[in-house]
Amino acid sequence: MSLRLRLLLMIGISLSVLWAVVAVWMLRSLNEEVHDALDQRLKMSAQMVTALISQNPSAWEGAEKNPKQSKFWWKNALAQDRLSEPFATPFWCEQGSQLDVSTIELPPIADSFDCQISSLSGEIIARTPDAIPEAVSATTPGYSERTVQGQRWRAYTHEADGLRVTIADRLAERSSLLHNIMMAAILPFLVAMPGGMTLLWFGVKSGLLPLERLRQMLASRVPDALTPIPVSDMSSDLLPLANTLNQLLERISITISRERRFISDAAHELRTPLTAIKTHLQVARITQGQDAAQALDYAQEGVARLQRTLTQLLTLSQIEGPFSWEDGNVVDAEQVARLAMRDATANGPKRIVFQTDGSVSQLSLPEALAVTALRNLLDNALCHTPANQDVELELQLVDNACVFFVRDHGPGLSAEELTMVTQRFWRRGPGHGSGLGLSIVSAITEHFGGHFT
Amino acid sequence: MRILLIEDDDLIAHGILAGLRAHGLTADKVINAAQAQAALTTLHCDVIILDLGLPDEDGMKLLHRWRAAGMTLPILILTARDAVEDRVAGLRAGADDYLLKPFDLNELVARLHALLRRAAGRSVNIIERGPLRFNPDSAEVWLHGQAVVLSRREVTLLAALLQANGRILNSDQLKDSLYHFDQEIESNALNVHIHHLRRKLGTDLIETVRGLGYRIATEKS
Repeated sequence: MSLRLRLLLMIGISLSVLWAVVAVWMLRSLNEEVHDALDQRLKMSAQMVTALISQNPSAWEGAEKNPKQSKFWWKNALAQDRLSEPFATPFWCEQGSQLDVSTIELPPIADSFDCQISSLSGEIIARTPDAIPEAVSATTPGYSERTVQGQRWRAYTHEADGLRVTIADRLAERSSLLHNIMMAAILPFLVAMPGGMTLLWFGVKSGLLPLERLRQMLASRVPDALTPIPVSDMSSDLLPLANTLNQLLERISITISRERRFISDAAHELRTPLTAIKTHLQVARITQGQDAAQALDYAQEGVARLQRTLTQLLTLSQIEGPFSWEDGNVVDAEQVARLAMRDATANGPKRIVFQTDGSVSQLSLPEALAVTALRNLLDNALCHTPANQDVELELQLVDNACVFFVRDHGPGLSAEELTMVTQRFWRRGPGHGSGLGLSIVSAITEHFGGHFT
Repeated sequence: MRILLIEDDDLIAHGILAGLRAHGLTADKVINAAQAQAALTTLHCDVIILDLGLPDEDGMKLLHRWRAAGMTLPILILTARDAVEDRVAGLRAGADDYLLKPFDLNELVARLHALLRRAAGRSVNIIERGPLRFNPDSAEVWLHGQAVVLSRREVTLLAALLQANGRILNSDQLKDSLYHFDQEIESNALNVHIHHLRRKLGTDLIETVRGLGYRIATEKS
C-alpha cells in the first residue's frame, strides 16, 4: 500500500471514529435536552392556561359564541407560546359538552398539542377541538405517559384554583424533531466527507512531494554514482533520511573501492606467476636441451606459485563470505596445533617445538579455519627462520582466552612494517609468498572474535 | 644490442633473460632501483626494460628521476598495471613503450628492436650500407643480394656497429653488447669476431680507429 493511501486512510478513519464518538455523545445529551425542554414547555403551557383561566373566570362564563375565532386563538396560543400577547379576543368554550371540531382548520404544527381544562371533580370545561379524550384525561398532577390509538402521548396535568389543566403531546413528534436535528447535524458532514478526503489526498500528495523528489533523484542516478545526495535544500524531516542514505553511500563507496583495489591487486598477483609461466614456455619452445628443460622447470615453479596464490585467495573469500559450520564449531586446541604443525613441516627439514601447559582445551571456530590460520603463521615463521634454528609454538590460557604464541628467529619487523603485515599482498621485499598468509590469519581471527598481534 | 632488465621477480626475470638471449640479444637483470642506477653508470646498454613494482622505489619515480637528469636511453615499461591511467602516466613520464604482463616474447623482442631503430633515427628496420643489407629482427645479412651466414655473436657485433651509425665504439662497449655479466670473456674474443666479420663481409666494412675503437665504414664515395 502506498504511503499516500495509508496516510489518507489513517487520517480519514481516525477523523471519522473521533467524529462518530463525539456525535453519539452530542446526540445523547441533545436528546435529553430536547426532552427536558419539551417537558418544560408542556408544564409551562399548562400553568399558563390555568393562570389565564383562573384570572378571569367570568370572562369565559359569559362569553359570546364565536367558535371559530376563539378556537383559532387557543391553538395559536398553545402552539407558539405567545404568552406576551394580551387577550385581544375573548375565547369561547362550550361548557360540559363535546366540541365541534369538524369545521376548524388548524395549522399542522398544532397537531402535536392537545389540551383539556376540567374541574377537579372531572367536569370538562374546555378541550381543544381535535383532542383525543384519552390522551388528556389524566387525573393526577404532574407528568404521565400513555398509549392511545397506538401512539405514545406525554401529558402534564396542573391543578390550581379548582381547575385541572392537562396538556399532552405525541412522543412521535418529539422523535421526529430530534431526527430532524440529527439530520441537520449529520448531513453537512456526510456531504463534506468526500470533499474533505479529496482535499486531504491532494494535501498528502503535496506534503510528500519532497520524498517523491528524493525518490526521483535516486532513480535518475547512474548505477555506479556513489556521490552523496545534495542536502542543502532538503526539508528538515527528510534530512535524517538523506544523511543516513549518504552515510550508507559513503560506506558502500569505501567498500567498493576497497574491493576494486583488492581485485586489481589480485589480478596483479595472478598476472605475475602467469607471466613467468608464459615467458618460460615460450623460451622452452625456442631453445633446446638444457635451456629448454630449465625453462620448463621454471614454468612449473610458476604454476605452483599461481596455485598457491589461488588457494590463498579462495581461503580469504571463504572467510569473508558466509561460512558453513559443517565441520562443527568447537575444536580441540591441541589438535589444531598438531595438524598445523604437520602441514607446515610437511615440505621442509625445519622443526617446530611445541609447548603447552594443558590448560586450554576447546576453541570455538571451525577446525579447518583454525588450522589454516595457525599453519599460515607457522609457515611465515619457518620462512624467516635460519635453517639451523627451530620455530617455537606455545599454547596457553591467558585471561581466559586461548593464545597461540609463535616465535621465529628471523630478523623481525620494524614498527612500520608491522602495520602493513596484514595488508593483502604486502610482502617484505621480493619473495615468492602470495602476500596473503598473514592477511588470512588476521581475517580468520577477526571473523571469530579473536586477535592477531 | 645490450639490454638492461630491471625486474624484482626472479622467476620472470629468468624467463625474460633466457628469451632475449635466445633471440640473440645480450641482456642483464638488476632487481631494484639502486642496482639499476649502479649498472647504468658502469655499463653501456641500448635499451632498458623497467618493471614498475620495484621493492625500493616506485618504477615511475625512477623513470621521472632519470628523465629529469637527462637520461635519453629508450625505456620500455613492462608491468602488470593495466589501467589506462597507468599506461598514460608511464608514457608521459618518459617511457618510450609500454608492454603488459603477461606478454608475448616475440612482441617484446620486436618492440625492443623498434625502440632501438627509432633511437637511431631510422624508420625502417632494415639497415643498408653500401652492398650490405642487415635485418636486426631476423638477424639476416645480405651482401650484394647474397645471404651471408653469421654466428650469433657476429650478428650482435655487426648490429652494434651498424646501430652506432658511424660513431666509434670502444672495445668495452662492444664487449658489453656481446656478453652479459656472468659470461667469461677471452681477451682476444672481440678481435676474433671482428676478424670473422671482415672475412665474411669485406675487409673495409669495419674500420679500426687506433686507440679509440672500431666503427662502421662511412659510405664509400
